[in-house]
Amino acid sequence: MADVLLSDAEKTFILHGIQDNLREDGRGCDDYRHMEIETDVVSNTSGSARLRLANTDVLVGVKAELGVPEPIKPNQGRLEFFVDCSANATPEFEGRGGEVLATEISTILSRAYDNPNALDLKSLSVIPGSQCWILYVDILLLECGGNLFDAASIAVKAALFSTKIPNVSVLKGDEGQMELEISDDPYDVKQLDISSCPCLVTLSKIGYFHVVDASQKEEACCLARVIMGITQTGLVTALKKEGSGSLDPESVFDMMETGKKVGEILGKNLTAVLKEEAALGKKRKLVGFLR
Amino acid sequence: MPIDTRRITGPETSQTPYSFCKEPEKKALLDENQERWDGRSHDQMRPTFLRAGVISQAKGSAYIELNKTKVICAVYGPREITRREEFSMKGQLTCEFKFATFSCQLRRQHQPDNQEKDLSIQLLEALEPAVCLHKFPKAQVNVYATVLENDGSALAAAITCASVALAYAGIEMYDLVLSASLRLAGDIVLLDPSENEEFKPQMDLQVNNGSLTVGYMPSLNQISALTSSGECQLDVLTKAIKLCIENCQKVYPVIQHCLMKSKNLEE
Repeated sequence: MADVLLSDAEKTFILHGIQDNLREDGRGCDDYRHMEIETDVVSNTSGSARLRLANTDVLVGVKAELGVPEPIKPNQGRLEFFVDCSANATPEFEGRGGEVLATEISTILSRAYDNPNALDLKSLSVIPGSQCWILYVDILLLECGGNLFDAASIAVKAALFSTKIPNVSVLKGDEGQMELEISDDPYDVKQLDISSCPCLVTLSKIGYFHVVDASQKEEACCLARVIMGITQTGLVTALKKEGSGSLDPESVFDMMETGKKVGEILGKNLTAVLKEEAALGKKRKLVGFLR
Repeated sequence: MPIDTRRITGPETSQTPYSFCKEPEKKALLDENQERWDGRSHDQMRPTFLRAGVISQAKGSAYIELNKTKVICAVYGPREITRREEFSMKGQLTCEFKFATFSCQLRRQHQPDNQEKDLSIQLLEALEPAVCLHKFPKAQVNVYATVLENDGSALAAAITCASVALAYAGIEMYDLVLSASLRLAGDIVLLDPSENEEFKPQMDLQVNNGSLTVGYMPSLNQISALTSSGECQLDVLTKAIKLCIENCQKVYPVIQHCLMKSKNLEE
């Protein structure tokens, strides 16, 4: 991750602030920063979203392609996550520099979505055993301002919400072959149910306390964090300790408690905002990609 | 790509024949008496074999067997960092987690895949808090864990094995890192799951279905690794973590004893 240099005095300042539940930007320990989200930003995708969380900027594009299902799950489509750490964000990502971070984000995301309830993958099946929809979820990090995991997961959920998959009808061709007819009507599409898609919540341990949505400076003070995938109903779909430090069991339980609480609210608010945006329909004022 | 005519041209990718079989009867998690198939009680570990110092050239090494899960681990270093990187007062720890190509039911590739990369990072983050990295500035220690046979709980076995290997290598540590894993399925909690007891996402739909691995340092009372997959309620997960910790505390004296015995054997 893009590192910031902090002196010991600055670190102490951040630490003391967190002790008093007042962080350097005026937030409390359980507060997220201001978030801006916009869906349908890239026209060539099946669904896309851009999220700006203070300085963190993430763009997600979902592309639906027809492919062959995995042999062990013949009647399901699948979801594939790819993370691209753009060198625009920080020169450290140049070449293969961001690879470790990219795999980390994509594995925790695929783990959080890797349970039968997260997304109805059966609805993505076209011809069981031979054709299914594969959703390629590409995450592009444009700017790193801390808390990339949460930002990526929120943007992914929003992009999946806006994903429109064309309806396919299967026709029996002559000689018994199956023929696919894909509708080219932009309104003849199906959408995904994202109500049980998880959001990631990262809890960073700083001193004796933990904070959600750590900024870059706070991340520099933190040795160990817990990343949780939480659904709107408060179920934990993934859990991972990350970082070079270790944690007391009691504080892990506290962090999980906070994570659940924050994750539930986050998920509900996100769905509400997305529905609000969708309800605007064509009246939606385009905010513009970068302001 | 030029075609090599000396070889039989087959398809570019191959598939396991098992995927063409008719779907076998799905074996239930437990048998009709609610017992595990291998006759263990729900909170019983598999018979374990552990020995340190199995690779003579390595600075430290260890081999662990949890019945059919077999992991061998070697530690090299501290040695000079070969790639010139930024100066650091802290030593560097690197971990590589590798499944032998024949270790799983499906053949694995030589090239590390995403799962192996992920497990390598998890192994590293489990061991890093336990090693006194400030004791060897500018140097690195390499840990290589290879799974020879995978019958479930491979990560847990690798963490325990690697920490024993590090200790055997005489690298200063705050504590051993022991690890335990669990399978959750509804009300059932199975300790140390084997391959067919492990959580596989394509199966059941019920809530509280998942698996958990915890790395724990018993004398410091610190959790160094924590990873779960599958859908669980918070309180169930909390209880499961406590159970894992309890189990780590239980095996701690045994592992210590084993380490001492291996060291004495060498002398």
